[in-house]
Amino acid sequence: MIQIGIDAGGTFTDFWLTGADETLAPLATPGFMHKTPSTPDDPSRAVIQGIGEMAAARGMPAEELLDKTSLIVHGTTVATNAVLTGRGARAGLITTRGFRDVLEMRRGWREEFFNNKRPLPKPLIRRALRRTAAGRLDENGGELEPLDEAAVRKEVAWLKDEKVESVAVCFMHAWANPEHEKRAAEIVREEFPEAFLTVSSDLHPQIRLYERVSTCAFNAFVGPIIGNYLEKLEASLRNLGFSGAFLIMGSHGGVMSAPLAVRRAASTLLSGPAAAPVAASQVAAPHGVENYIVTDMGGTSYDVALIQGGQPLVSQESWLGGLRIALPSLDIHTLGAGGGSIAWTDPGGILHVGPQSAGARPGPACYGHGGSEPTATDACLALGYIDPDYFLGGKMKLDPEAAREAIRRGVAEPLDMTVAQAALGIYEIICVQMAAGIREVTVRRGLDPRDFLMLAAGGAGPLHANFIARELGIPALMVPSDSAVFCASGMLASDLKHDLAVSWRVRFDTLKAGELARRLSSLRSEIRDVLAGQGVSAEKMSFEPGMDMRYLGQYHEVSVPLPAEAIDAPDLADALRRFHERHDALYGYATADMPVEGITIRMSGRGHTDRPEVRPQPLGGPEADHARKGERPIHLPGAAGRVAAAVFDGEALRPGNRLRGPAIVERPNTTVLVLDGHELACGAWGHCFIWPEETADEMRAKFLSAFLSTPGAASG
Amino acid sequence: MSEKDSAGGIDRILASVLQRRLRSITEEMALTLLHTTRSPILSEGRDFATGVYWANGDMLEQTEYTALLGFALQPSLKACIEYFGDDIRPGDVIFHNDVYQQGNQINDLGVFKPVFFEGKLAAWAACKAHQADLGGGAPGGYNPDATEIWHEGMRVPPLKMWEGGKLRRDVWDFMFANSRLDIVAEDVKACAGSCTVGERRLLEVLSRYGRGVFDRHVVFIMDGAERIMRGEIASMPDGEYEGESFLANDGVQEGVRHPVKCKVTIRGEEIAFDYTGSAGPTPGYANAPLHAATSGLMIAVLMNVDPQIPHNAGILRPLQMIFPENSMLNAEFPHATSYGNHLTHQIWDAAVKALAQAIPHRVTAGWNKCYWGNSSGFDERNGRRYVDFFLFAMKGGSGATEGLDGMNHIGTVMTGGAMTAQDPEMHEVQTPHRLRHFEYEADSGGPGRWRGGLGVRSEWKILARDAKVILFGQQTEPGEEPFGLLGGKPAGLNTAKLTFPDGRERHIKGHEVFPAADGVLIEMTASGGGGYGDPRLRPAETVREEVRDEIISIESARRDYGVALNPETLEIDEAKTAQLRKGT
Repeated sequence: MIQIGIDAGGTFTDFWLTGADETLAPLATPGFMHKTPSTPDDPSRAVIQGIGEMAAARGMPAEELLDKTSLIVHGTTVATNAVLTGRGARAGLITTRGFRDVLEMRRGWREEFFNNKRPLPKPLIRRALRRTAAGRLDENGGELEPLDEAAVRKEVAWLKDEKVESVAVCFMHAWANPEHEKRAAEIVREEFPEAFLTVSSDLHPQIRLYERVSTCAFNAFVGPIIGNYLEKLEASLRNLGFSGAFLIMGSHGGVMSAPLAVRRAASTLLSGPAAAPVAASQVAAPHGVENYIVTDMGGTSYDVALIQGGQPLVSQESWLGGLRIALPSLDIHTLGAGGGSIAWTDPGGILHVGPQSAGARPGPACYGHGGSEPTATDACLALGYIDPDYFLGGKMKLDPEAAREAIRRGVAEPLDMTVAQAALGIYEIICVQMAAGIREVTVRRGLDPRDFLMLAAGGAGPLHANFIARELGIPALMVPSDSAVFCASGMLASDLKHDLAVSWRVRFDTLKAGELARRLSSLRSEIRDVLAGQGVSAEKMSFEPGMDMRYLGQYHEVSVPLPAEAIDAPDLADALRRFHERHDALYGYATADMPVEGITIRMSGRGHTDRPEVRPQPLGGPEADHARKGERPIHLPGAAGRVAAAVFDGEALRPGNRLRGPAIVERPNTTVLVLDGHELACGAWGHCFIWPEETADEMRAKFLSAFLSTPGAASG
Repeated sequence: MSEKDSAGGIDRILASVLQRRLRSITEEMALTLLHTTRSPILSEGRDFATGVYWANGDMLEQTEYTALLGFALQPSLKACIEYFGDDIRPGDVIFHNDVYQQGNQINDLGVFKPVFFEGKLAAWAACKAHQADLGGGAPGGYNPDATEIWHEGMRVPPLKMWEGGKLRRDVWDFMFANSRLDIVAEDVKACAGSCTVGERRLLEVLSRYGRGVFDRHVVFIMDGAERIMRGEIASMPDGEYEGESFLANDGVQEGVRHPVKCKVTIRGEEIAFDYTGSAGPTPGYANAPLHAATSGLMIAVLMNVDPQIPHNAGILRPLQMIFPENSMLNAEFPHATSYGNHLTHQIWDAAVKALAQAIPHRVTAGWNKCYWGNSSGFDERNGRRYVDFFLFAMKGGSGATEGLDGMNHIGTVMTGGAMTAQDPEMHEVQTPHRLRHFEYEADSGGPGRWRGGLGVRSEWKILARDAKVILFGQQTEPGEEPFGLLGGKPAGLNTAKLTFPDGRERHIKGHEVFPAADGVLIEMTASGGGGYGDPRLRPAETVREEVRDEIISIESARRDYGVALNPETLEIDEAKTAQLRKGT
């Protein structure tokens, strides 16, 4: 049966098709990529269009392809766009009297301390629709004042009159005791059953009112939107005869059923880049790589994620449009640097690139869609890195003269230099910025980037990655063959995932292991029910418990992963040891004799999905000449004048082939630049590695020899 | 790419890349510091700045987590360089906080590390962080009873804590024997660690380009920033402009107003701020050391130029800052100065009122001037002593500006919106406070075509044994309200009221310390900011929507904005509104 991953992005909708049926997916590749332009007004159109195109390419109607399809995994930016454009559902909030504005206050912070002209983000629920009712709990969940049910009823009726579609309920200290919220939710269901309901103690029973109410507001704002979208898309797929499973990518790097994705809509907000780390683990694991930095450079942004010990790092601190989302999401750091980033000069004579972007429209000057400002892509074209006649495999012609003209006017003339110098400057600066972003991500976690392998994805990524890796002293770089549709392929490799966190304050010196076991088991059974409801059988489930801990008196807690055995038999001494170690790694110190408290317990549950099978591939020799297309002159950073770079057809390279920089490897959807002094070596399935020549033997031995000498083992 | 392709051996691209690298070094230093310090004022409040400097002490790049520290480092570093002269060696780490040798606040300890390349001093890595306690008459550095510098903390003139890479253990032990809190020594170690990170990265940059190229290009970078600043000033109309403010309460004498006067002179590409005519020194702690004053003034400057301007020594060159000797804004030895940072409000107000005449479209109206305090005592829930500041209650609104309403609950201007309020739930867990109310206050923003940002009203009970409450700050006396601009109206005053368990009530102004019995109720209002432009020009529809949001009362809509609304339906009474707005 066929499986299809579909990543609907802002510019393109990417597809990745795999399957055991040889007529549809021949043995030569692990899968097929396809791209079709996105349809932002109704993203489901591009999805259906692309499926039709893939079927047509195989000489069959869409119905036949879908009939052979057992699984579709979909990543969508519908919810994200609703937030960024302010076009979400009309939502109302019922909260505790005296705390009406916590949502809008954002704890009284702003991004730029000297900028009085930059507006603060607008709240997702305006003040008139934020209603309050008396009723107060203390920090232990004790009732100080009973809930004023009449007031709740009155406010719900008021919101109904105001024609809201969505109601969020979030009370002070509901993390410690959900009773008031449960009662208020019942009243909402009685008075206004058609409203989309979000209850904080259900969605995210974790301490910190701002974080919780903000997360609830997101859920209320996007819930009805993503509900309508998925309903419509699924109906279209079913109408075409699709009877397989339909799953949605979540921000946590797992997938979930469509109804769950709607109920917990806020957990899809950061799903865009969340599949890249999963895809990365698929391609990197067979090479024995466990610690790597995944980078994904698109048209407007550069996403950086760290993988340690084979596991993507998870963050509880995410922001979207300046607003806080507290649900766990993969820890992905996004910089405003992409192929469309615009270069400009300041009056002091300093060159800058970004954060403004030409986006997809008008896009870089060389696209010929009316863009006139020089972008990073224009620089790559002017430097000779991109073949103007082979962009997107030749589907799109680029205009090198327009690129040079934009660079001349925007950078070269103001700075009194040649176009080539200006283009190199643009290239170098955007690379240095991206490198600084990677350095920040690693340093923030007390890590050194040189201890990682770097993985470059995204259409523009492999053009810049070698420079960035060299800048950071990263020993090896991997460019996966499916880098251009990396997220779509990652989606198919994602497990079903459901995360829960519950705040529970307890001092370790009074904590009983039995009590912790009871609470962890209860989280597990709740998750088990959710996974079972999505058709996961018990033997395919696994659970990862954790606890957020801190030294008594600290303001911030540290999320500490616990072993799976801890659910039934927690080892408190071991948990403490893990906390001290983690604290030391993050903050540079640990204090073993200081009392420790737990704040929140967490559980991440997975329903393991069947991975698409990747078949072994025959080995070639080190010689790469058979793939050589020719050569062209390029400008290289740090070198005067032009040098000749060999150009290779990436599709023709075989495992084991090697080539030396300066060189360019062209694939239909991406171009790889190999700098002078570097070697590119091919792994299986078209994945490439780049490293400095002086360490090439060592690196090949480390990453390739075991893998390539036993082709039979090359699955994963 | 050739390095000598234009005049003076400047490679423009290299300069751009170098500037980005230097910035990234200061960011990495700041992250390192953030993650290795322990006291909440650093790890939560982020009251610190990191930077890299040229051999002569000129600022090359900085990361400022608190606006007020932005320009406090360079003068201290230059004082250290002057003090040690030729006696600066690889492996030295210099400490300094003395407000009478170019420091800014006694608790802001500077840590400076020279960077030697090929045997010569090439650059400095430095940071300055507000230490939780450096001795003195009161914990935390704010002592309203202080009348001389020794009441406020330990003076640290330029001091080598590491010499040639070796820690002077006796000096270390001596210094930290004079702090109340053990964690301060740890935090100071973290500062030195951050400088080591900066040193390491600067050496990478120096080895990559060589000393000559580095020097030429940092000169070019600073000259470039100077050009930007000159361009910004040139865009302001030439002239002399005057602004005035005053401090109403110095914490010691009642009813004495201390004037602050600023004359701004703009001539072509240069600007001068002259505070001659401002008050003489006050008897208490309300005096600013020179570089608390210059740092406060820099907030007013940077808020009124391109926010993207690089922060290096070049931008200081076209600026002249004159604070008269032996005044409240340039205290002489041995006056107490720990409230000096708060005089930023007066310095900023006087400068901005003057600038408003020159660049009315850039400036904002007045911001809330902070009134706050802390409570401390014994928390019976966990058997521990606590101290916590009223950050949530003190954050008022900012002034409106052309094109944009003021920001709600963003104060104070000293931090530019950098300091966050506590989360209500975590606050009740951490501190024996029970919040009853914490919301925007309707009608607290000064009316205007663009409305002043909203302030907040807070009510909370103190549930602690042997508690003590300190309240201090300003804007509690008539005349101190955040000013409006160009027809915009001022905001109101800050208020504070204590209700004791026996029912007795007290309205508080000024600087006071109280014993607070279990169950004392505190009610505080932080005002909003001033309005900008005639409120009767604010679109009636916007006013109506704000009445719906209950941030403007229906009475204020009519009285201040000239918008008549039907009290039932909130429909705009067009005829009545036109009549009310006649003549605007």
